[in-house]
Amino acid sequence: MKQGIRRYLTNKFSLVSRWIFATLVAATLISSEALAAGGGKPATKLINVADTRAMGTGFAKMIADIYNSNLWLYGLTVVIVMAAMGAILGFAFDRLVIMLGIDLGKLEHHE
Amino acid sequence: MSFFNVYLPVAGMQFNVLLLLLIGFTVGVCGGFFGIGGAWIVTPALNIFGFPMPYAIGTDLAHMGGKSIVATIRHGKFGNVDIRLGVSMIVGTTLGMELGARLVMRLERMGLAESVIRKIYIVFLLLIGSYVLYDYISHVRRQNKIAENGGSAPVNEETFAMKLQRIKIPPIVQFKTAGITCSVWLPILVGFATGVVASVLGVGGGFIRMPALIYLCGCNTLVAVGTDLFEVMVTGAYGAFTYGVKGRVELIAAMWMLVGAAIGAQMGTVAVKYVRGYSIRLLFAVTIFIACASVLMKQLKLQTAASVLILSAGIIISSVIIGWLIKGITNELSARKSGGAKKI
Repeated sequence: MKQGIRRYLTNKFSLVSRWIFATLVAATLISSEALAAGGGKPATKLINVADTRAMGTGFAKMIADIYNSNLWLYGLTVVIVMAAMGAILGFAFDRLVIMLGIDLGKLEHHE
Repeated sequence: MSFFNVYLPVAGMQFNVLLLLLIGFTVGVCGGFFGIGGAWIVTPALNIFGFPMPYAIGTDLAHMGGKSIVATIRHGKFGNVDIRLGVSMIVGTTLGMELGARLVMRLERMGLAESVIRKIYIVFLLLIGSYVLYDYISHVRRQNKIAENGGSAPVNEETFAMKLQRIKIPPIVQFKTAGITCSVWLPILVGFATGVVASVLGVGGGFIRMPALIYLCGCNTLVAVGTDLFEVMVTGAYGAFTYGVKGRVELIAAMWMLVGAAIGAQMGTVAVKYVRGYSIRLLFAVTIFIACASVLMKQLKLQTAASVLILSAGIIISSVIIGWLIKGITNELSARKSGGAKKI
């Protein structure tokens, strides 16, 4: 039983780590495009301030404050929030679909 | 209806949450089914309802990254994602997009960007849509011949992708999930070519990469869909960051769209289970022709009509996909009792 659990966790971890590695490699390659884009015109600077005067406290106010104070942090926040939401919603709806009794195993690739 | 309005602080406006959920859902279904990002639906759809254009592209890219994670997880479990193939394509796509961007700068300096790019876009969409449709019609004719010959299949002709796979420039890599063994330069060069085209046209490129994976790399349709989504996930994340840093992402809107897109992406992704590859290609060809018509209308200065067309088409296409999904699930659940489910 212990051997089985250990093998399962090793397989799971190696699959997840392969995904993470592949995504990091791909993200690095994509990001390098931004650094190498010295040949292009500089982007026009958009000056914008989120209006928080009528906003109460809460998540939206926090996001607006980050936007107003630090755009690099805002960019990072966007990626983290979207990735986290995507992963959580992905796994959650996955569970929901499985509960409906639909077989979601590997597909045969028929044309 | 104003009860469903939410204040978007970055865009500085009120927007209806139900609209955001509907747009996200529609694009999620199409994205999960075809393996595309769907920016060509989202951007005009947001703009037509008053969303400022400078934020529409960035917001779309942000939600697209998150939505693609949902769809890629599901496609991965279906065994439709070839990570090695996806990373190889991304290497080429990155370089291609950089070259494409510089080509656009050169066209801009010559004063030709506007007139040339849109025409190239229309021609390209027509070519892709026509070829995919021609491929579907050829397949149907072959199937009819097989039925006339009493079930005996004719010898398969060598496809263009097979000819490209025979070019053995090292290193030779086995792409297990895609079921192809070829030079790694093939996906890199295909990615490079699609990257150049996508960058020149100013699009994400999912609708170019998906048929390129099928017709140039030789993937089957489902692996092309899943692998393309993996690439969209990575490019979406990069786009979200770069537009976020430029202050052009409305995160609250993106989050609402992602909720709708997550539901839609699950449905679109599960639908591929019940649909044959060639049916996916047929609907893809129809979608491409509608996108082409929309760009043509923009060329003729019919902006609003173009946006209405693309949003309506998106809703109709996602309804067709959901119809296939419901039919497929019903067949599966009832076939479990009698044995053997049929694909559409």
